Amino acid sequence: MAADTTSIAPVARLQWLSRFPRGLTILVTAMAVLSPLSLILYQSFLTAPFFEANKSAGLDAYRFVFDDSDFWHAFLNSGVLAIGMTLIAVPLGAMLAFVMERTDLPGKRFLEPIILVPSFVSPMVLSFGYVVAAGPVGFYSVWSQDLFGAAPWGIYSIPAMAVIAGLTHVPNVYVYASAALKSLGSDVEEAARIAGASPFRVAVTVSLPLIAPALLFAAVLVFFLGFELFGLPLVLGDPEGHLVLSTYLYKLTNKLGTPSYHLMAAVAICIVAVTFPLVLLQRHLLQNARRYATIKGKAGRMKELPLGRWKWAAMALLLAWMFLAVVVPVSGITLRAFVTNWGIGVTLVDAFTLDNFRAVFEEPTHTRAIINTILIGTIGGALAVACYTAIGFATHRRNDGWSRFIDYLVLIPRAIPGLLAGLAFLWLFLFLPPLQPLRATLFSMWLAYTVVWLAYGMRLISTSMFQVSTELEEAARTIGATRGRISREITLPLIRHGLLGSWLLVFLIFEREYSTGVYLLAPGNEVIGAQLVSLWQGGAIDLVAALSLINIVLVGIGLALALRFGVRLRD
Amino acid sequence: MTELTVDDLHLRYGDTPILNGVALTLERGQVVSLLGPSGSGKTTLLRAVAGLESPYQGTIRIGNAAVFDGARGLDVPAERRNLGLVFQSYALWPHKTIFDNVGYGLRLRKVSAADIKTQVTRVLEQLSLGHLGERYPHQLSGGQQQRVALARALVYNPPVILLDEPLSNLDAKLREEARAWLRELIVRLQLSALCVTHDQGEAMAMSDRILLLNNGRIEQQGTPLEMYSDPKTLFAADFMGSNNQLKGEVAEVRDGVAMLGGDGWKLAGVTRPGTTAGKPGVAMIRVERVRVAASAGDNRIAAKLITSMYIGDRFEHLFELANSRIRAYGESALNAGAAYFVELPRDAIWVFPTA
Repeated sequence: MAADTTSIAPVARLQWLSRFPRGLTILVTAMAVLSPLSLILYQSFLTAPFFEANKSAGLDAYRFVFDDSDFWHAFLNSGVLAIGMTLIAVPLGAMLAFVMERTDLPGKRFLEPIILVPSFVSPMVLSFGYVVAAGPVGFYSVWSQDLFGAAPWGIYSIPAMAVIAGLTHVPNVYVYASAALKSLGSDVEEAARIAGASPFRVAVTVSLPLIAPALLFAAVLVFFLGFELFGLPLVLGDPEGHLVLSTYLYKLTNKLGTPSYHLMAAVAICIVAVTFPLVLLQRHLLQNARRYATIKGKAGRMKELPLGRWKWAAMALLLAWMFLAVVVPVSGITLRAFVTNWGIGVTLVDAFTLDNFRAVFEEPTHTRAIINTILIGTIGGALAVACYTAIGFATHRRNDGWSRFIDYLVLIPRAIPGLLAGLAFLWLFLFLPPLQPLRATLFSMWLAYTVVWLAYGMRLISTSMFQVSTELEEAARTIGATRGRISREITLPLIRHGLLGSWLLVFLIFEREYSTGVYLLAPGNEVIGAQLVSLWQGGAIDLVAALSLINIVLVGIGLALALRFGVRLRD
Repeated sequence: MTELTVDDLHLRYGDTPILNGVALTLERGQVVSLLGPSGSGKTTLLRAVAGLESPYQGTIRIGNAAVFDGARGLDVPAERRNLGLVFQSYALWPHKTIFDNVGYGLRLRKVSAADIKTQVTRVLEQLSLGHLGERYPHQLSGGQQQRVALARALVYNPPVILLDEPLSNLDAKLREEARAWLRELIVRLQLSALCVTHDQGEAMAMSDRILLLNNGRIEQQGTPLEMYSDPKTLFAADFMGSNNQLKGEVAEVRDGVAMLGGDGWKLAGVTRPGTTAGKPGVAMIRVERVRVAASAGDNRIAAKLITSMYIGDRFEHLFELANSRIRAYGESALNAGAAYFVELPRDAIWVFPTA
């Protein structure tokens, strides 16, 4: 017999106990997300760095930035890059997705992980790869000189950067396009074939228009990533002096010679003013795209479209892209890591050396960077997944104001490029006394990484959580389990494979990360990504090559493990 | 003794009203079925009783204790209502063995390990699942999974068990066996059960009483016999059984008998509430009550046979008359295209007013 109302009431009063951890989770998340952003915002409205006595409130920083013609050039360049790479990445990614998802192209299973490689290799590393492979004295340039007498390309102009950025962002389009194509019944394509359309016509007139919402989302995403670009314009824009918003911000300090935090903050706010609306737009589009996908979701019957003689065209397209986006930069780095120098007249055999690696392993800073990078990926990644899971449980199956608050909260770091987030965390660790001792430890790095990738991690976690049918949890409730017990004994055990997969993906992302650590870098918390930026600035090409290759190897191990455990590399 | 009382329950999703003042009682040892088309609110009502949906008005009492009272703002969470719920999908936890699935409710009630073992073993025996305790749900057949779900809901002796379409995931043949088995079990263990179903045959076979829901209201309630043989509304008549309808105009109502006429036909039938002379009406008759006759007579209408279909245990004849179709069962095939008379016995016809 159920207890009567009088005995139920006191228990009801104790319910806040089970809510307490949720409140704590929400509080900590809000602090971790909002404090850096509000610090940047506050700083941008001061006339001097916030820790100086002579600061006062004012718009001087914005005035200075808006009067600087370099800022407008950088803004324009960012816009051109973003548009250019969108125009390249979206059609290419969509076509690749169609070929991979809907046709009988041979070797697809083997090719798919390779397609995703550019999205897991640090852009800093990739860009460096293009410099040593296709720069004025790059491997491929020199070979082309030898063979054809000329190397008719340059990679340091804005259009060239747009092409490279476009090619390396194809995977971002590919994952969304192929997910949408998966949910499309093949009957619509067969109908077009019967009516007499070639595979190419089918793709252009039937399949791709049907996934227009997903492509639109991908276009906005790539455009948004264009505004966030840092490593690529830093490496490729330098020789000809092209600045984009992020590199303009990065170079501000050098420009004035003093720490011009207020100016950096003003630029940061300008960047966020562009990216935040784009993030909101993405959210809106993604919901739309999902709705469309479910309407047309007759995914039961999937028949591959026979390509026939189009097979060669499709294969050529795929391999050409793969060559340019994967083989060229990765082979460039690999070769460069094993030679003393390179130029016209140098042969690979003569220049062969292991000194570059010797130099890495003889210098404690670099070995520490390697160990730290492994630690932040493995242990840091696991801790980050634990945090994301805690936040996931705070919103899971709850439709109240707090859940919506967290939903929007996790979007905020998405809009703050890693470089800015790293800067904001640096300020926090510099000027909040309780945090100061942690400044030069890996913790500062980890916290920044975890916050920067909050939205990504939350998406991984919530994807896993939503795969647990509501009824499994409701069944436990009706039997008498509290929320806490349901989380621990039903939901958590059921999503453990999802969590393992999330951990591997977060590992990959943390190995790849470079911009977040740029400002946080200090003796003791070096990580490869940020170290590369600093070494590149110092012109230590040999070290950059060796560390880049080590970074690629770490990512490769992660990828191999992920494939071994059957982790889906995309959501 | 009354185990469950629901009174004046209102519930909406956003602006869409789902339940509009539903009331029901469930006595100990009784099975009450909630029957209705999809969207009628029957599953929502069951989930509201379980505490998985939040009504905004009305009361729900389990035994003597209120678990929901809109006026007092009382809403006891699902985990403290001490009910048993069998889900349509069974919702067995895939990461727990059958034994652990069933024993979980006892573990939550801090029963000792030894007692859990005896009680789980007993209930598994009762449901002929004794040998399956160490297996995982995916290793069981659909019928076995359904019994595990039931065992899980029964093991801690809840005062009321709630069944959400408990048989709909079984295939047709198994469903009839399971229906009989479930009814027998409920009677044997003296369970009080509230059961949602959209299948009127299942509802009639299993229940002591049926509540027919329509648009979040109770259309009619009663024993299976009352529901089938004495429907008060056109909706209730139409929902139960296979029916023929003839639309016409009510010519006369006298002493419980209504005369309904149409284009070249006239029928006498039992009046239903609201039938008035001079208004349009509809005659409703169960297919099995229609007879085929060779000559004209009272309550007989001339009809042309369109086709006779052999459906295994009998023939189903399809007749055309005026602008309507009439279906009837028969022992043997008839001649398509030939003219017959269909007899619609006066006591088998209900004459309803049309809205």
